[in-house]
Amino acid sequence: MTNQATLEIDQPQVRKTPAGNNRRRSTPAVERVNWSATTILILCAVTVLLPLYVTVSMAFKTQGQAVDGNAFSLPAPFSMDGFVQAWTLTNFPVGAAMSLLVTAGTVLATIILAAFASYAIVRNWERRLFRYSFFYLLGAMFIPFPVVALPQIQLTGRLGLDNPLGVILLATMFQLSFSVLLFTAFLRSIPMELEESARIDGATTWQTFWKLIFPLLAPMSATVGIFAFLYAWNDFMMPSLIISDPALQTLPVRQNLFQTQFSNNYHVSFASYLMAMAPAIVAYLFTQRWVMAGVTQGAVKG
Amino acid sequence: MSVKMTRRKRFAAMGLGLALLAGLLSGCTGESGKETIRFTFSKREAIGFMTKLVADYNASQDHTEVVLDTSGVDVVSASFVRGNPPDIALANYNMETSRFVQRGVLSDLSGAEAASRIRDDLKPLMDQYGSYPGRTSALPYSVMASSVIYNKEIFAANNIAVPKTWSELIGACEKLKAAGVTPFYATWKDDWTIAQGWFDYSVGGQVDSLGFFKELEAEGVDVGPESSVSFQKDFDQPVQKMLTLARSYVNKDAASRAYGDGNLAFSQGKAAMYLQGPWAFSEIAKTAPGLSLGTFPLPMTEDPQDLRVRVNVDLAAWIPEASKHKDAARDFLEYLYRPEVIDAYNESQLGFTPTKDSSNKPDPRIEGMVEYYNNARVYQGPSVLVPRTIPIMNYTQAIVFGAPPASTLRTLDADWARLAFRQ
Repeated sequence: MTNQATLEIDQPQVRKTPAGNNRRRSTPAVERVNWSATTILILCAVTVLLPLYVTVSMAFKTQGQAVDGNAFSLPAPFSMDGFVQAWTLTNFPVGAAMSLLVTAGTVLATIILAAFASYAIVRNWERRLFRYSFFYLLGAMFIPFPVVALPQIQLTGRLGLDNPLGVILLATMFQLSFSVLLFTAFLRSIPMELEESARIDGATTWQTFWKLIFPLLAPMSATVGIFAFLYAWNDFMMPSLIISDPALQTLPVRQNLFQTQFSNNYHVSFASYLMAMAPAIVAYLFTQRWVMAGVTQGAVKG
Repeated sequence: MSVKMTRRKRFAAMGLGLALLAGLLSGCTGESGKETIRFTFSKREAIGFMTKLVADYNASQDHTEVVLDTSGVDVVSASFVRGNPPDIALANYNMETSRFVQRGVLSDLSGAEAASRIRDDLKPLMDQYGSYPGRTSALPYSVMASSVIYNKEIFAANNIAVPKTWSELIGACEKLKAAGVTPFYATWKDDWTIAQGWFDYSVGGQVDSLGFFKELEAEGVDVGPESSVSFQKDFDQPVQKMLTLARSYVNKDAASRAYGDGNLAFSQGKAAMYLQGPWAFSEIAKTAPGLSLGTFPLPMTEDPQDLRVRVNVDLAAWIPEASKHKDAARDFLEYLYRPEVIDAYNESQLGFTPTKDSSNKPDPRIEGMVEYYNNARVYQGPSVLVPRTIPIMNYTQAIVFGAPPASTLRTLDADWARLAFRQ
């Protein structure tokens, strides 16, 4: 389907080029435009940009316009009503602060704990205890949260952890296995000689880790951090079940209010989603370079 | 040196984070001398109304502080597991809530003053979801009646009176069709709209659902072709009639239309009738505030005496046994059931008040259902009386999309028997 469409679009473009080609020939280093690939990439970009456009335009519509069936129309009249309602209904400042707290806590704890564990495991691989603890940690990958939800709810309730702190602990635990997997793979590629030289200079294990290994782990820490961030920021189920005080609830759970069977309030929901997405988008704009490098890190190094 | 600095900074940041968290957690236990009760309410459309009501109550007295919790059903289930459920809740009464009732985690409200004012004919409806021996576990707060929504202007323009019998209904449909008007707007993409409207109205208009489900319960594992009642025997004829309507009198694109599309199309006058509950009125009003609409029960037989409307207990009040503030919650419950409060709520949501002394003045849009509600000519939809484990909504959608009704209803029987066997 897509291929055919691409070809059809392709041909008129090719015919048009001779005029352009002459001009281009004068500048030697111009690459030939690969139109079929460009078209496919444009289509891919559209699948991302179109929903984003609908989100933004919907957020600024009035209630009447939001349900009129034209998702792609521009907001007219331009209205901030959706934002005002979403802000008060979700108590946005508090919700965002909770989400931020849970996310920051999870990211920090995951990076530090996973790095600790991986370092210990990789450097003591020949000992059975460490080897088995690696498999034990990996085992958690096969246990999804819903399976253990019920006992976790009771456990956190009894320990007084039915609050964001409990979510941080649990989220960290569930992120740990994957993060340890990434870290250990990366650690194996760091030559032992580096560490030995530090030892010769008199560094303790603790110092070696903080001054040598942890800085070397930085690219992988970024990867682990990004995955933990995405998980913790977007997670719905765990906070909704673990946090008992509604005043301490995170944003995704607060936004659940907008998903009802019987009524549509697209402008309010989309305004709220936009506000919740904003931090992630802003963070991405500034850290694009590392995010892209980070996400592919595990794939290349595995 | 620089490494040490960053390290110190890192620890400082961590310490700050922990301190922040500690401050936050201790902050939420602060009391102001008043007894705080948590009130769960998550009906999205009415949160504005409830927020104001709670504020009024908090201002009216100085011993209880009610906190409105809108976080929803999942959170409530989790809180029961944890042992700190809300102190009082107004929630949709359905199979999910009935689990709390059957397991006895809800306290007995029979002593409450409000309980004595509930209409007696609603009790069988509440009990249909199960009960706990010796207790009144939940009190109905708002009853929603639903039936056919019709566009009064289109009916008047085509000179059609509200049909009271099946043949009058078919006559009206033919007349509308001849005039180029789509009789029914159907939104079959959303399976619940089929179950709630098409299926429930058709079956409820003919089958006595109270008696049917009682007998079905008694048959249990024996439900099948040989049992005294079964889906395949008792539901066959109503479903055939439903298909008669569904095949000839709906919009052509029904299969790809969802609930939201239906509200928009109906508000634009694209069809004369719409099988939805009163919740659709506020949605239709978003695009057509002045549209003149009415309601009438879907006639399925030739006898106008058989006309009945579908009801469901949209909100029921309950107080969990595990609540530590039951007395304060009781006081708030009595406040909620004050005639002026409960009537004001139901008027705002187009619901019916379940108390005997109600002076509710119904909205013109639901006037057509008042006489049926007052005379207890009501039924609860079969689709909500079947446990959620059985995907009845999908079955009804399959029937509408062309699956043979006989075999689908046989599947339903088998599912019922299997579930009875398992329990």
